[in-house]
Amino acid sequence: MSLDNSAPMNANTQNDATPSSSGVAANSSEIILEMQKIRKEFPGVLALDDVNFELKKGEVHVLLGENGAGKSTLIKILSGAHQATSGNILLGGHPVHIESPRHAQDLGIGVIYQELHLVPSLSAAENVFLGREKTSPFGFIDTNSLRIATAQILSGLDITIDCATPVKHLGIAQQQMIEVAKALSLDARILVMDEPTSALSESEIKQLFSAIRRLKAKGVSIIYISHRLEEIFEIGDRVTVLRDGKVVGTKAIIEISRAELVKMMVNRELKEQYPRERPPRGEEVLRVDRLCRKGVFKDVSFALHSGEILGIAGLLGSGRTELARAIFGVDPIDSGTISVKGKPQKISSPRAAINVRLGFLTEDRKSQGLVLRLSVKENITLSSLDSWSRAGFIDFRKEEQEAGAYVRELRIKTPHLRQQAMRLSGGNQQKVVLAKWLSSKADIFIFDEPTRGIDVGSKVEIYQLMNQLTARGAAIIMISSELPEILGMSDRILVLRHREIVTELAAGEATQESVMRYALGA
Amino acid sequence: MISKELFWQNSRQLGTLIGLLLVMIIFWILSPYFMTVSNLLNIAEQTSINAIIAVGMTFVIITAGIDLSVGSIVALSGVALADMLQAGHAGPLAIAVGLMVGALCGLVNGSLISYGKLPPFIATLGMMSVARGAALFYTDGRPISGFNADFRFLATGEVLSIPVPVVLMLFLYGIAYLVLNRTKLGRYAYAIGGNEEAANLSGINTKLVKTIVYGLCGLLSGLAAVVLTARLNSAQPIAGMMYELDAIAAVVIGGTSLMGGEGKISGTLIGAFIMGVLRNGLNLLGISSFTQQIIIGSVIILAVLVDMTLRNDRKPLFGKGLFK
Amino acid sequence: MIRAWTFPTLLSVLVVLPGCRKSEQIDKPTIAFVMKTLNNPFFIDMRKGAEAEAQRLGVSLIVQAAEREVDVEKQMQIVENLIQRKVSALCITPSGSREIVPAIRKANEANIPVLIVDTRVDQKALAEAGATTLSFIGSDNKDGGRIAGEFIVAQLNGKGSIAVLEGIPGHETGDDRLHGLRLALDQAKGIKIVASQTANWERDQGFNVFQNILQAHPDVQALFACNDMMALGAIEAISAAQSKHKIIVVGFDAIDDSRRAILKGEMSASVAQHPEEMGSLAVEHAYKAMKGERIPLEIPIRIELVKKEDLLGQGSNK
Repeated sequence: MSLDNSAPMNANTQNDATPSSSGVAANSSEIILEMQKIRKEFPGVLALDDVNFELKKGEVHVLLGENGAGKSTLIKILSGAHQATSGNILLGGHPVHIESPRHAQDLGIGVIYQELHLVPSLSAAENVFLGREKTSPFGFIDTNSLRIATAQILSGLDITIDCATPVKHLGIAQQQMIEVAKALSLDARILVMDEPTSALSESEIKQLFSAIRRLKAKGVSIIYISHRLEEIFEIGDRVTVLRDGKVVGTKAIIEISRAELVKMMVNRELKEQYPRERPPRGEEVLRVDRLCRKGVFKDVSFALHSGEILGIAGLLGSGRTELARAIFGVDPIDSGTISVKGKPQKISSPRAAINVRLGFLTEDRKSQGLVLRLSVKENITLSSLDSWSRAGFIDFRKEEQEAGAYVRELRIKTPHLRQQAMRLSGGNQQKVVLAKWLSSKADIFIFDEPTRGIDVGSKVEIYQLMNQLTARGAAIIMISSELPEILGMSDRILVLRHREIVTELAAGEATQESVMRYALGA
Repeated sequence: MISKELFWQNSRQLGTLIGLLLVMIIFWILSPYFMTVSNLLNIAEQTSINAIIAVGMTFVIITAGIDLSVGSIVALSGVALADMLQAGHAGPLAIAVGLMVGALCGLVNGSLISYGKLPPFIATLGMMSVARGAALFYTDGRPISGFNADFRFLATGEVLSIPVPVVLMLFLYGIAYLVLNRTKLGRYAYAIGGNEEAANLSGINTKLVKTIVYGLCGLLSGLAAVVLTARLNSAQPIAGMMYELDAIAAVVIGGTSLMGGEGKISGTLIGAFIMGVLRNGLNLLGISSFTQQIIIGSVIILAVLVDMTLRNDRKPLFGKGLFK
Repeated sequence: MIRAWTFPTLLSVLVVLPGCRKSEQIDKPTIAFVMKTLNNPFFIDMRKGAEAEAQRLGVSLIVQAAEREVDVEKQMQIVENLIQRKVSALCITPSGSREIVPAIRKANEANIPVLIVDTRVDQKALAEAGATTLSFIGSDNKDGGRIAGEFIVAQLNGKGSIAVLEGIPGHETGDDRLHGLRLALDQAKGIKIVASQTANWERDQGFNVFQNILQAHPDVQALFACNDMMALGAIEAISAAQSKHKIIVVGFDAIDDSRRAILKGEMSASVAQHPEEMGSLAVEHAYKAMKGERIPLEIPIRIELVKKEDLLGQGSNK
């Protein structure tokens, strides 16, 4: 069903959730926070480009966008962890300069991150009042009054928790509530919640939402970051969509449909030309059948052919990298089979994977792909040293020949082979890792975010290398969060959501929107 | 361009060498007994035991680990070897037993660390106690002494006018250089120390390599025990106390970082000699033992401070290796 | 880097400068005294005696020791270094009765006379190595152990249980003292040794080991420690345990701290060895040997048991 011409919210299409039941304060027009023309530059990257964001008192304002769209940068600026390169922030109409997280706290801004910042061995009350404990004249902590105060805050949210147990014994949902209580005890008027429901059950989500409604009634304003469209439509009042560091638009939830939201998230001109040259598809080289790893991914099956680039798309946390690691033998699998070139294989270690000619270009080349202190030559031959040694001794001449050949073939820019890998640019480092796999004679590659953090020129070189590889009969699985890259270079696309494959698309049929829709479950 | 790069990569060892020469020149000026052939050979002989242990320690530290049990392994290997000799067995067999005991202790360390996933600090701390206790238990606390001249040749003998322990030390350093720089084992050791996860993902059997490295360290401690036993003509269960600190000091002064992934064996040799020269020179000058301790400790601290300031990336000296 | 090394070298120079003057006197004959350790009041007294005698004779004296009494290898290194320094005579209190023999051999080869002080060298090992020493200056440790044992027997009226704290195993000193003790105890059939453990000559180990012995044998009546340091540690353990009956403690060395303890009644007696005398006699005879004179093979130092009465008679600490 095509959703490109969907009608506004009022039509009863099954993809639209029930109208927002946020009720009360959504109509208040008092603006409590304004972020104006916020610009944030990092070396080589413009993370936020003239972002305008405003928050009304007592509203739940959703912040939506792809990975890397700029949401977390914006929040970090608001919470005082980063400073904007330029732009203004106004709180209640007054300009402020938020200098540090402590300062943000003092200004009434509280942030609840996904990784909770509680001390596991301390109780709820102790955590809430950490650093601000009330003491008796002798310096002893007045635990009782702390507990009473904490219980009061929680009951204001209609929540009951035993304030005396160490929080490590409490469930995630309750721990989250304690974080909320902590923020409230600091008189937060603005609460930022980053993916609060990712670890919660249905009933816990309902509890969270009712607590949020109570907060709204008290006049607390909430910035809510989430990918879950059902929730956005249930609890949100307004939504701002970020894309590539810019604000695409801000709309009231009741005035927009899911399909429109997705379109706002991904609709960009595909300016870059992707030089994909597709060779004829060859034999099946890899088959993965019903792969399962408890809590990580479930029932994953697909086939890969020589000459093919199979793109894997999905949001953070959907299980893509974990799947790659399991195929490569780094992590174990609970059930399912992997067959390489027709033969079932038990891949229990990276060495076993390398022996069946797999290669894994990891997400983070610095911490996982390279030994930065070693030289270019040493990194290139790291997986294939056996071929250049006899009786344990390395044949330096052969090794240098091999490394030199790859430096030339891949055009790796380095003054000499003995240069330490840490001194190369990102693009060249990535080429060194690729050379390592070529040297180990891999012909089935897994590329995890292959062009992340690399300049445009080198990106194109890498795409061209991918073409050369597939032309020679290699097969590539490419995991990427950059939708244009997925669409531009893949021959087929798998979309992962919530640790399962939800669909397989041929390159021609897919659009940014459709891929994103599957990734979000819209 | 190339030679400048290589110069800087070896610069730390060059600096340490200059430091050694400076210290030697100072003692030369201050004492007429210092710069004689016999005294220099004396220093070399006295340094040899620590230098032998430090070879093994260098390997371990390059893999970003640490071995606190070397002193205790010296004691245990020594008493095992001495017991064999007392029982009338031939020298080579007894030596082999001593070496094997050392290697075994090292392999246990390595297995605990690689497969048992214990942090190296903890595993070798435990072995330090266990090996020492075993040595004391086995001998009921008493030393085993009195061996034949053939065995003692290992310490008292000379090859071309150079004491055997010195020849042994130089030979070992030559082999260690080859292994570290020209073999797969050496390359893998540097890779594991530099980035264990990347090494693992590149298909290196990191567990096996680490186990072998610790086994090697134990073996070399056993070899040091052979020399020590020959030198003192006695194997004491209390021998080797605090030897691990001297070995670690030699490695660190020599410019190898405790963080792992880099370091040269030549640096360790120079570091061991700096300590040997200091002890000898201060003895010759009649400096009180207490002052000696202060000076030697200060040199170690300064060497580490210098190393920290010279490191390109300013990471802390104590990183993952010790406590991970 | 060069800059970085100037600091430690400067530091060394600054500390070493005072020592400079000593080394200028190469022509002045030097006697070297290598002790087990300088941390023990016994050896500090020995050093005092040695230095006094050296001053009287107008000869220069170097006193050195390893950091720890257990470090036999370091003691050997010190001896080797002193041989390089061409000292005129060597006095040694060996940390290891057999382990020091190779070092003595080297001194023989360099024609440096060697005198042994306080702890004997193992004669068999000496003979096997073909090394010689000129003299032994020290007390008869067997005798010392014997009079301590006789004292305890008398105090217990011939019946009771006693514990023993030993020195580093294999040390001739400790072994001899134990031997003497046992000879005395064998005379009294009713006395039983219920525990005999080493505390390695050290005070804190004396505390811990005796504390454990008390746990296992709360009724023990007497303790003989092979040196005062261990006895003093044991006394602390006794007061911590607050045992109901008085335990008779006998130490060995009669250092100042134990004399105070005896006056206070915490210790019953200690065997005095006169380390100062040992030190000065050693230097005196080393000087003679240096000049080529013959010296006696054995120079015994008197030994006696010091009890409270003896101390009160003398008026104060010696």
